[in-house]
Amino acid sequence: MESGVALADAERRLKAYVAALWGIDPPLRPLPQDGDPAAMRPRFDDALVRLPAVWPGMDLYRAALAHVGAHRMFSRPWPARGLKPLLILVVSLFEDARVEHLAMRRLPGLRRLWAPFHRTEPSASLMAADLMERMARALFDPAYRDGNAWVDKGQRLFFERPDRWDDPDFSLMLGGTLAGDLGKMRVQINARGHRVEPPYRDDNGGLWLHDTPPEPPRDVDDPLDAVRPDRIEAEQSDRRDGPPRSLPRPAPFAVADAAAMQPVARHPEWDHRIGLHRPDFVRVVECVPERRPMSDAPDDRRLTSRVHALIRHAVVARPERLRRQREGDRLDLDACIAAAVARCQGHAPDMQVYQRVRRRGRDLSALLLLDASQSTNDPAGDGTVLDLERRSADLLAGALDAAGDRFALAGFRSDGREAVQWLPVKRFGDAYDEAARGRLAGLDGRWSTRMGAAIRHAGSLLAGQPTLRRLLLLVTDGEPSDIDCPDPRHLVEDARKAVQELAGRGIDVVCVALGGDPGTHHHIFGRRNVLAVDRVERLPGLLPAIYAKLTG
Amino acid sequence: MALQSYRIEREPYYRPTGDEIALFEAAHADRMPVMLKGPTGCGKTRFIEHMAWRLGRPLVTVACNEDLTASDLVGRHLLETQGTVWQDGPLTLAVRHGALCYLDEIVEARADTTVVIHPLTDERRALPLDKRNELVAAHPDFQLVVAYNPGYQSVAKDLKESTKQRFAALEFGYPAAGIEADIVAHESGIEPALARRVVAVGERSRNLRGRGLEEGASTRMLIHAGRLIARGVAPEAACRMAVVLPLTDDPDLRDALAAAVGACF
Ligand SMILES: Nc1ncnc2c1ncn2[C@@H]1O[C@H](COP(=O)(O)OP(=O)(O)OP(=O)(O)O)[C@@H](O)[C@H]1O
Ligand SMILES: [Mg+2]
Repeated sequence: MESGVALADAERRLKAYVAALWGIDPPLRPLPQDGDPAAMRPRFDDALVRLPAVWPGMDLYRAALAHVGAHRMFSRPWPARGLKPLLILVVSLFEDARVEHLAMRRLPGLRRLWAPFHRTEPSASLMAADLMERMARALFDPAYRDGNAWVDKGQRLFFERPDRWDDPDFSLMLGGTLAGDLGKMRVQINARGHRVEPPYRDDNGGLWLHDTPPEPPRDVDDPLDAVRPDRIEAEQSDRRDGPPRSLPRPAPFAVADAAAMQPVARHPEWDHRIGLHRPDFVRVVECVPERRPMSDAPDDRRLTSRVHALIRHAVVARPERLRRQREGDRLDLDACIAAAVARCQGHAPDMQVYQRVRRRGRDLSALLLLDASQSTNDPAGDGTVLDLERRSADLLAGALDAAGDRFALAGFRSDGREAVQWLPVKRFGDAYDEAARGRLAGLDGRWSTRMGAAIRHAGSLLAGQPTLRRLLLLVTDGEPSDIDCPDPRHLVEDARKAVQELAGRGIDVVCVALGGDPGTHHHIFGRRNVLAVDRVERLPGLLPAIYAKLTG
Repeated sequence: MALQSYRIEREPYYRPTGDEIALFEAAHADRMPVMLKGPTGCGKTRFIEHMAWRLGRPLVTVACNEDLTASDLVGRHLLETQGTVWQDGPLTLAVRHGALCYLDEIVEARADTTVVIHPLTDERRALPLDKRNELVAAHPDFQLVVAYNPGYQSVAKDLKESTKQRFAALEFGYPAAGIEADIVAHESGIEPALARRVVAVGERSRNLRGRGLEEGASTRMLIHAGRLIARGVAPEAACRMAVVLPLTDDPDLRDALAAAVGACF
């Protein structure tokens, strides 16, 4: 009977917690599971925080993140070269105390979070591990009385100078003194096998810069970790392994046939280095996705009806006041007055003196554009990112169709500048019928993300729509990239330019981001126009809400 | 004297956060139209009340909404026993008698309503009353001020470029922690040290903006929390009631925010 909290279940809450406390959002990853879980300690670096996959309780996770956050706020890693392991341990001990006290100055309630883990009591033990655990408590709690001369000295020196807590060198200095004292005492030290106490504190790995970093626990079984950072590489090697236009593995959802690939347009691309468009630089080919049966995942009836209600409401919500009506629910004051004046003057009054409010249909076209690149095959929820994109798009499209909003649906991806694929699922004039749903089911994830070209192509389709407002809603899990673009900035700047071009034509572009770097997205779309969905599984419910909000 | 009831007798408490008072005074000296931008509950309304008092001008406020028509702003004919009489709308009142006219949440108004302010906000400085065949020249003291919150909804709702470009703008945000604590302490009556803690709660929630929350706690919310505390509610419970629960229904975010509130006291 394993009691405890799984990181996977608590991750979203914990991420929000550490973001609220410190304004940071490091990815949280499980530590590889080997050995005694009780001996595992958090570990962080400037990119990630690793925590045990299962731990006794939420408070332990929170205490750990509050502590790591305090390091991220107040610690600067020191070079470890040439320092004795014992010195590193004792300096780390003071550094832990220093950053926690700084954190408690700002957030005094953290004391209640951390205090229950400092349970060690005074004892006669002279084992280094015991002394250090007691020192940890003595440095945390000024009221604690240990009795051991070494512990007492550390406590006294530390609490004598709260004015120096802002200075990381204070930890170096006290650590140096106390490590020297400990070295002279005849105590047993196992610096290498040392385990930091209490358990919410990290293993100090993030505090020190090692010339050859100690083997980081590479958890290959962590799918996110293994796939995300190397995605582009993975895509390329994928291609190198196979013949140019087909992947070695069986392609379950293939494009119907080569004849279906129609070159439909050429678009320019922006070169930020020279500040000019390269005219006709990319070619867009249209590939109508092969129809496939919709997945047999059971429909979520409640969600479907909620989405329909939401969209129906958004679509008809805009009221319009009709004046001078023969009948209506309110008097039209101006018409009444005109009638009264006419009557006074002896004319026949116009008796159209009512007004009513009509819910008006909207003057809007929307294009929903789905990223269908390789990375959307990443697992998410019960399936892949693309599965979720498809489910969400299907829900939204069904509701829009029922409500009569004008919309189109397509996917995109690219395989170099001559092959930007446009995958039409539903065009503006078409109905959202079984054939369209079949094409949506036939979208598969491959190749890269030449976003600017896709945005321009979408713009050319939207520009032809006769409505007042035009909206491009782009759903992506990543950032622009393509095989023939080694400079990552190039396609980012191009996409940004494309968004500006659309804005100039009165087309709103909004990005629903399921991942990727928020900074890049803000740069491309403008901060206001990026909606980050932190948990991809929630997309089906969120996308319609986002649409309703944008257009309502 | 006209607009007597629109005059502000006592100084509204306003704690400056930068040089906004001087900037506004300069704009007012030129009667330049001003737009106040900022999130909800950050002091825009309080600021304009304070400025009206400081400049000794009456203040006419209109809260805009979708159903607001041009007549609601400008005025309309009413039917009386002898016939019709014209009644000035709030905007016309301000234009005739030299008030500050403050249009709150201007983006909520429909575009055809917003355009009535155009002739007032350029060289003409006049308000045409079509229904009356009258052109009201603005009183020399008249100034137009609008406010809005540039949240992300504004993808759909934004001012027309031709409206936007008639205004100078002041940007309002949540004040720096020390200043915000002064405000919370002043408005709620709690001790400054405790107000600091309440402001720390505000900072925690603002850290979640764009990370699940659309907007963090406003100064107004923090004042609510302070007032509950002043009435004897325990700080954590007060923040739960005034901040955490109103802000979000997402259970994960509530849990995270409640835990972060715990860290503040
Ligand atoms: N700088 C400040 N000085 C004094 N009080 C302030 C200040 N900022 C905010 N407040 C307080 O916050 C409350 C809310 O501010 P206010 O009503 O002015 O917000 P607002 O920006 O107009 O919001 P909304 O956009 O929702 O109308 C005020 O009643 C006032 O108590
Ligand atoms: Mg530590």
